[in-house]
Amino acid sequence: MNYSDLTWRHFENPRCAGVLSGAAVRRGAGGSRAQGTWVQFDVRISSRNQESRVEAVRFLAYACPHVIAVADWVAQKAVGGPTEPVLPESVHALRERFEVPIEKLGRLLIVEDAWIAALSPPYRETAA
Amino acid sequence: MTGSRKTVYLDYAATTPVDPRVAARMAECLTQEGAFGNPGSTSHDYGEAARALVEAARVRVAAAVGAAPADIVWTSGATEANNLALFGVAIYQRDTGRHIVTARTEHKAVLDPCRELERRGWSVTYLKPGSGGLLDPAQVAAALKPDTVLVSIMHVNNEIGVIQDIAAIAAVCAAHGTVRLHVDAAQSIGKCPLDFARLGLDLLSLSAHKSYGPKGVGALVVSRTRGVQLQALQFGGGQERDLRSGTVATHQVVGMGAAFELASAEQAAETARVALLRERLWRGLGSLKGVLRNGEPEHTAAQLLNVSFEGIEGESLLAAVRPFIAVSTGSACTSSNQEPSYVLRALGRDERLAESSLRFSLGRFTSEAEVDAAVAAVGEAVTRLRRVAGSPRTAS
Repeated sequence: MNYSDLTWRHFENPRCAGVLSGAAVRRGAGGSRAQGTWVQFDVRISSRNQESRVEAVRFLAYACPHVIAVADWVAQKAVGGPTEPVLPESVHALRERFEVPIEKLGRLLIVEDAWIAALSPPYRETAA
Repeated sequence: MTGSRKTVYLDYAATTPVDPRVAARMAECLTQEGAFGNPGSTSHDYGEAARALVEAARVRVAAAVGAAPADIVWTSGATEANNLALFGVAIYQRDTGRHIVTARTEHKAVLDPCRELERRGWSVTYLKPGSGGLLDPAQVAAALKPDTVLVSIMHVNNEIGVIQDIAAIAAVCAAHGTVRLHVDAAQSIGKCPLDFARLGLDLLSLSAHKSYGPKGVGALVVSRTRGVQLQALQFGGGQERDLRSGTVATHQVVGMGAAFELASAEQAAETARVALLRERLWRGLGSLKGVLRNGEPEHTAAQLLNVSFEGIEGESLLAAVRPFIAVSTGSACTSSNQEPSYVLRALGRDERLAESSLRFSLGRFTSEAEVDAAVAAVGEAVTRLRRVAGSPRTAS
């Protein structure tokens, strides 16, 4: 399978791969390793002047190059943004941006599931 | 696609480059100054010259597998040879019996014809090997029925390299009576000794391009002394004992003959050298945690190493190593469909492990430096992808 330059860059060097910890970190996951695709986001929230913002994001992914690349891109783009459980771009826009084959659409929905799980109540915070 | 200079080729089980010595012999048959005549045109010297080369190649191929030259039927490759063996025996013996025995780990070039025969009314028993990939000859014996006409078992498995005990299976077939034994030996030539006549085989499929010969040519060895009869599948000229009509491609069979002659002459030295390289590769890969070797090592051909990597998604593994090494996730003929290896699944590997497996196949031009580069590339990829996956297993 061939991958776009953007996909390849994020797959080869996923700068946001990892985990966060602390009271302000919310964690959510989607998919399963047993089914072949699993994604987890850790999102650190900062609150100033009664306004919440995404301060940092890390992800883990047992997944194909497309999913790893999209998760890394989301983790970078979300920083500084709102804490609503909405991806910085729609799944369909992400599919076009990364030139993901249509048959992999379900895998991108797992990225969305993980993001929504991280930022939707009840929040699951990581240990300090 | 032409591989970049730094890409290490470790996919010799998919195909091999033509040995320059073979290419030189082939080239002699192509141009006006060479033996370009039709080997079927015996009314002039051009045809006779080509025919002489074809028959010399027949002798070379036969010698490489311990068969008589008259047993060799040229085909376009092992796939055609397998089809001719399976359909040829099945149709010819359709009034005797309609049961075939094979294994789940056979190449698709055997399994797909078997499926087609099932659609046409034959019944097929698919034997399940043990977790190491080996069949117990007793399984074959137990599967034989009064109406069994053919057993088809490969010699060296193309994905895991396991060598089946063909001698024992041949003995089982001989004890049963009239059942024919077909062996797919596409991966064997130049790697594992195989003596067609001594083993008492009925049919043997061969390929040139797995043994430094050209693509597009192979052979089915059909034992005359054992009285094997086949229904032809291709008509129009009566070449090859009426079993495979069509003008024989002189340069292709000359290439196959030259390749098999070289493979036989160099088998002992080359196998010993490649076995050392394969163990060097395994020592390097095995030093990573969570790496499982597929196939029983003591019954595996020297050129093949198939390993599963725990905690890594398969497509990402292949993508990560692709810039550095050319390997396969399974049979080259089926790997484009992105499905986990049915061979590894048949051995009991779960779907995830079957997906995250790589087949390394070494060959004549593999060097120590290439093996070391492959170990380094895989080690880096495994470490990175396990870190991204947060896998419990981490590379040491």
